[in-house]
Amino acid sequence: MLHWTFKALFARPVYLLASACGVAFALILVIFIEAVFAGESGRIVAYLEQSKADVWVMQRGVSNMHMATSFISDWKVAKIAKVEGVRKATPILYMNASIEIGGRQWFSFVVGMGGGDGRAGPWRVVKGKRQPGRGEVVIPATLARITGLDLGATITLNTKKLKVVGLSEGTFSMANSVTFVHAADLSDIMSAFGMVSYVLVDAEEGVDGRALAARVRDQVASVNAMPLKDFIASDHGLAMQMGVEIINIMSFIGMGLAIVITGFTVYSQTNRRRRELAVAKALGVRNRAVYGSVLLQAVCVVLLGLAIATALALAAAPLIEALVPLVALTIEFEALLKLGALALCIAAVSSLIPARQVLRVDPATAFHS
Amino acid sequence: MIHLVYRQLVHRPLRTLFMLIAVATTIGAVLVIQGFQIGIYWQLPGLVLNRGGDLIVTQAGITNMIAARSTLPQLTRRQVEAIEGVKIAHPLTAISAIYERNRRKTPIFIIVYDTAGGPRNIIAGTAPKGSRDIVIDRSLARIHGLAMGDPILISEYAFRISGITTDNVAFFAPFAFVTYDGMIDFYMESKVVGDITTFPLLSFLIVELMPGADRKKVAAAIEARVPDADVFAPSILAANDRRLGRAMLGPVFNLITTVSFIIGVLVIGLIMFASVNARRRSFGVLKALGFSTLHLSGSVVFEAAIITLLAFPLGVGLAWAVAAVVDSVAPLYVVMFDDPAALFRTALGCAVFALVGSMIPVRVIAHLEPAIVFRR
Repeated sequence: MLHWTFKALFARPVYLLASACGVAFALILVIFIEAVFAGESGRIVAYLEQSKADVWVMQRGVSNMHMATSFISDWKVAKIAKVEGVRKATPILYMNASIEIGGRQWFSFVVGMGGGDGRAGPWRVVKGKRQPGRGEVVIPATLARITGLDLGATITLNTKKLKVVGLSEGTFSMANSVTFVHAADLSDIMSAFGMVSYVLVDAEEGVDGRALAARVRDQVASVNAMPLKDFIASDHGLAMQMGVEIINIMSFIGMGLAIVITGFTVYSQTNRRRRELAVAKALGVRNRAVYGSVLLQAVCVVLLGLAIATALALAAAPLIEALVPLVALTIEFEALLKLGALALCIAAVSSLIPARQVLRVDPATAFHS
Repeated sequence: MIHLVYRQLVHRPLRTLFMLIAVATTIGAVLVIQGFQIGIYWQLPGLVLNRGGDLIVTQAGITNMIAARSTLPQLTRRQVEAIEGVKIAHPLTAISAIYERNRRKTPIFIIVYDTAGGPRNIIAGTAPKGSRDIVIDRSLARIHGLAMGDPILISEYAFRISGITTDNVAFFAPFAFVTYDGMIDFYMESKVVGDITTFPLLSFLIVELMPGADRKKVAAAIEARVPDADVFAPSILAANDRRLGRAMLGPVFNLITTVSFIIGVLVIGLIMFASVNARRRSFGVLKALGFSTLHLSGSVVFEAAIITLLAFPLGVGLAWAVAAVVDSVAPLYVVMFDDPAALFRTALGCAVFALVGSMIPVRVIAHLEPAIVFRR
């Protein structure tokens, strides 16, 4: 029966390929939607990841940067710096804002950095300088490319005109680009005098981030301290939570489509081979074996479809990113594995109707002319 | 040709049904994806337009209500109310917060109001009266299993739900409404606030004009008298919010919609290809009987058109069902699948689906030899 199954499946390779492509197109929609959200949520935490601070300190009750507001008194920075195991404490001011760049409004994380050593600033600058001074700004290079701006151009944050002095790479996100300004400028805009938003803590060598975070929480009043990994997980989790429902619904639609297409494909194949099935049944092959064969065909079509969808998505992703730089696509292996498991469920469900056909095939039809 | 297509469709009803379902699912998917996008854009202006007033005053340089941190000096209200033509200026404060319950986090947008700008579309309970009262959107209530009278802990301060609204969501964040008494108690009692001066006390002013007052003149007078402020007609501020949403979400939704349209064409094409391929012998017979390739190809295009036409209402029905499910399981989103422009666009797309999709199997028919009929 196994031999017959594969023989039937590969008898018309073009037909098999067309069927698999149908499934692939349905699955590619799911892959794309997941890739968009994974890409965007990855970009949302890029600043945190690249900060490489061992511990992040923020206002008590706050455990996110994305969509959050945090204020702590600036005198606490010195107190944090004195906690055992802290090598360096770097404060930043931060707010979500809509910035006018190139005549358009863009939503952005605005980071106010001081110090002068560039800590907490952009991690990769492709043009210009890393540390903005008063009245200056470092913007994502992608935004500069899209809007046609270059160094020396002016952008507007609230009413403040800021001169572009640096272009950073890896800081662009559709929902949350990161823009760097001088802390004093942001303090003026926010009227947040004597305040900082977050403190990036670098630990001394060998000091565990989790233990250090606990010490900061114990020794400094009204702050929350989180090791970097937890803080990233918290922000990534929030971003994914915001998008997970859309992902699930879209995935559900894509899977529904895949079920229908696979069902149609397997149904057509089974239908085409009714006479062969009748012969097989007349020769004593049991219904269970014939159904197993139909199921196997469905599994093969779906897995081939998944492989084609993955290959197409991987090939198209860089092209799309080049054509639409606003969109980041990240195809995660984990997501593909999950989709693979779902694809097998799709195969099982979609072979139900053809199975009904199999059960109804009358062996006597084998002897009809 | 009509008779031939009719015979093809009724000969194997299960196959026809399968084709209808597959095409309807494709159409439904396209409608739902567009519906998500339209729903998000539809939600955005509500934040401004539901606050009322003839003019809205923001911090100078702030051109949005959503995703913006506007702070006005306390004195601004008195300055604005002193201007001729202004009847009253209602204060409004916006606070972004993250509500967390059972490890699930939802960003919320707290609107603090006094005499105007409060909750609209209340479906249960009343507007907040006491300082502990809060009105939340039903999406937040449903996500976290909250009900009227339940306590709701925001930044360690316990409010009590006095009312539930609907359609008060934007940018994936439901709105909550509290009074200024509530805000002051929240600031004072909540242990999270280190320094009250950093938190906004006044974000916007909703200005009501005297009857007959010239809106443009009053707006210009406010901007001249209060240099720290900008003034907008609500429709302009709402349009700015919508524009910001389009700038942020447009590229990704446009990409997904484009992909779904391409997939739609390919799926219908493949369905027609599979359908024609399964009937190669029948087409061979027809060719042997003298039917021309053009005639048979025409019948395939016609069949695709019929299938798509029949599938369209099914697709709309499917989108309606998905929208109902979304409303139940993910109340933050509105799937506006029935937007006339989207329906028209999809119908037009379907015509293209059917036409382009049916071209794929035409090649099979063109290369079909009538001799196939005599092969085993």
